[in-house]
Amino acid sequence: MATRARPGPEDTRAALRQAMARLAAGDEAALEEVYRLTRVKLFGITLRILGDRKEAEDALQDVYVQLWQRADRYDPARASPIAWLAAFARNRAIDRLRTGKVRGGAVEIEEALPLPDEAPLADALLIDAEQTAQIHQCLERLDARTRQHIRDAFFGGLTYAQLAERAGVPLGTMKSWIRRGLQRLRACLEASEAA
Amino acid sequence: MSTPEDNAQGAPERDDPMIAAEWSLGLLEGEELLAARGKYATDPAFAWRKEWWDGWFAPLADAIPGAEPGEHVWQAIAARVAAQRAAAAEPEQLGARIADLQARLRRWRWIAGLASAAAVVALAWLALGPLRAPAEPPAPMVAAIPLGDGGLRLDVTYVPESRRMIVTALGLAADGVHDHQLWLVGADGRALHSLGVIAPGTVRSMAVPDELAAQIGEGARLVLTREPIGGKPAGAAAGPVVARGALGRV
Repeated sequence: MATRARPGPEDTRAALRQAMARLAAGDEAALEEVYRLTRVKLFGITLRILGDRKEAEDALQDVYVQLWQRADRYDPARASPIAWLAAFARNRAIDRLRTGKVRGGAVEIEEALPLPDEAPLADALLIDAEQTAQIHQCLERLDARTRQHIRDAFFGGLTYAQLAERAGVPLGTMKSWIRRGLQRLRACLEASEAA
Repeated sequence: MSTPEDNAQGAPERDDPMIAAEWSLGLLEGEELLAARGKYATDPAFAWRKEWWDGWFAPLADAIPGAEPGEHVWQAIAARVAAQRAAAAEPEQLGARIADLQARLRRWRWIAGLASAAAVVALAWLALGPLRAPAEPPAPMVAAIPLGDGGLRLDVTYVPESRRMIVTALGLAADGVHDHQLWLVGADGRALHSLGVIAPGTVRSMAVPDELAAQIGEGARLVLTREPIGGKPAGAAAGPVVARGALGRV
């Protein structure tokens, strides 16, 4: 990794890597350290997806309890623990959203939260800088409309049907747009891996 | 999985990596989501691809501003972890029950095999809830209804919390002459309540009406009858019972 981040995030990453390795090795006390280091970031994610503080806090609880339960499945050799945790938290939040729908619309998506700016926040660079640059670069190569829909899906936890409704286009059209975008995204990311 | 509508306007082929991408992004819902979960559990290439996408999308989360959760969140996590550790330390009691439950779940999963992976994963996913916290909703119930001697079965999963029944009829083919209809034997042991006509080769999820849900419990009996195409005609008696089973908690 060519990029040298500032000492702050670098220290945090090292501490997190160490805590995750301890957790994976069965040290339960490490869970609190992982929580201390990551709760703000992961709560930001569950709050964004669920749009409701109570739901987001419940999802956050599930994230850490499941993390503790499955700690032995975490591979400490993984490149970026925070990237893995971020995906884990977002997946749990989306599970909750979809389960809520199965329960008959108990959870409504509130759209009160504004979408973030395109640029990552400078103080949030816990995730690998090189990988961050690459996904943004590949997204930039998509047409603006497709990029926006993919971003809305990622940040808003929206389904195809919700995206289509918002854009006022038939479901099939939205699926085509996004699938074409995902196909191009995959080609771009794979090319970057091969390089 | 593809339908003509799915491929409107020259969209790319919807192969597994594409479905993994859609899932990773969070676009899937309903049965497609269940099917993807099932595939994740049984298909390493698909699981790898899902994680590949998760890994690539993860940096986008850096754009989401952080937020401070309430202090009670850590207390709740610590309490749940402590409760589970205590349970694990009592092997004769709760620990054993959980281990037994997990063993039964594994066995059922093994028996069910690939055919009903989606339903099994749906089940595992929902059933593990009560393991995490005893206060969570009741575990789903399952019935495996053997069909003849050929090893074919109908898998029925009932999720009390959502009052949904998932009927997995994969591996079954329509004979063009008959349909099969699934019935719940009423709490009185006599009345038959229709749960619908089986759609061979599909996984169907359906809402169970309240009055029927009230009659579904541990040991509730299910029967399958052979009917004319379209199901039992109104006014006619139900056809012959060709298979039966009972719901049990996993």
